[in-house]
Amino acid sequence: MKTGREAAGRVEQATTMIRHHPELDILTEYAAGTLSLAQAACVSVHLNYCERCRRTVSQLQAVGASLFTAQDPEVVGDALLNKVLERLDDTPPLSYQRTPLSSQDATPALLSRLMAGDFSDLSWKNITRALRTTQIKTGDPQFEFSLLHIRAGGEIPAHDHRGSEMTLVLQGGFEDDRGSYRAGDFIHRSPEDIHAPRAFADEDCICLAVVDAPLRFTSWKYRWMNPFLRLQTG
Amino acid sequence: MNDSHDDRHQDSHEDNHEGTHEGAAKPRKSPAWSAPTGRRTDEWSECLVLIGEKQDRAAFTRLFRHFAPLIKAFALTGSTLSATHADELVQEVMLKIWQKAKAFNPEKAAASTWVYTIARNCRTDMYRRLQKFDTPLAAEDFSPEQDSEEPFMQLQSRRSAEKIRAMMGDLPADQKQILAKVYMEGRSHAEAAAELDLPLGTVKSRVRLAMQKLQVQFEHSLEAGLSQS
Repeated sequence: MKTGREAAGRVEQATTMIRHHPELDILTEYAAGTLSLAQAACVSVHLNYCERCRRTVSQLQAVGASLFTAQDPEVVGDALLNKVLERLDDTPPLSYQRTPLSSQDATPALLSRLMAGDFSDLSWKNITRALRTTQIKTGDPQFEFSLLHIRAGGEIPAHDHRGSEMTLVLQGGFEDDRGSYRAGDFIHRSPEDIHAPRAFADEDCICLAVVDAPLRFTSWKYRWMNPFLRLQTG
Repeated sequence: MNDSHDDRHQDSHEDNHEGTHEGAAKPRKSPAWSAPTGRRTDEWSECLVLIGEKQDRAAFTRLFRHFAPLIKAFALTGSTLSATHADELVQEVMLKIWQKAKAFNPEKAAASTWVYTIARNCRTDMYRRLQKFDTPLAAEDFSPEQDSEEPFMQLQSRRSAEKIRAMMGDLPADQKQILAKVYMEGRSHAEAAAELDLPLGTVKSRVRLAMQKLQVQFEHSLEAGLSQS
């Protein structure tokens, strides 16, 4: 058993290392509940790593609450109240359990549920010698939710995106021409961004990626693969 | 809007108690709202605590009379939900409140924020159900696993929520309009831009300006800093 203080220390440590966060507009859409399901899942996993963004989200929810309470109320009759009161007996209060703090290296609960197991239980598809991927079903009809596994020191061929791409580092880390990214870091790319990420030399890297169109290799050597990189949503 | 003014006055009591972290961490013997630590003392927090601790039906009825009309308005705003669905949403949200009231912690959240979050989740789930999404997840599964347990952080977060409520009325109309589209009508920024016939960048910058005015604190992404320079 970890003591509360140790657990808090670990989380704090994880928090201070996170340097790449979702933009304010993404957090706002998350707080308002308007992000697509797969994107919301990706942001939610980042929040498990990032205390500061959790705080921002709680403020953004307070914004929603104050708009909510300022609405013009609609008339609700006593019939509906009585109907709800009658149903209370069949609706026992839930016993409230505090979810334990997940440690830095634990897979976030939401992700475990979606994967229905561990990283090793998934069926991975090799894309290049250094890269394999697996699609995870979320029920999102528009956005594909997948995991990327880049071998230590391996490089993903330069690619751009026909749509936007959210990436969240789960294990290890990678770097590209803009910076380096470690567990918990959140990266959002727009369609025109081209990058060629390379995993750190000492550890395999596992990332979560949410895209609304398949990536497209820009280097001539891998272009022939583009037709095979079809989007699998749902 | 009236209760937000009351809340602000209570704020001044809080200053003396910032240092008493250990006091707030102890198990509570008395109900939270009566403790002299500047906690929220509004009627709706009281109701939620009474429901959570005693399954108090009178408190639930008071809460229903206040929030059900707001939940119904929230259901009908900018959506294709029928009146029947709106009533169904009111029932779902109110029953969820009944079930989960024990989890409400007045030290962490304002009652209105707690209720709003449940209403938002239920509405999202209802949309997805109507669109026949095949997903193992409910909207509440997307909430982060951990809240800050640190009393100082909780105090900070209550303060900023008070500030947000107080300053909401001063927002320029164009910014408020966008926030209403996003939060109440449930539009993405892109949808809001299309409906208002504005460039997406304008929508995003109005949201950003509004959040700055409301003093919402956020981390600048390093990436954005680089790409803008």
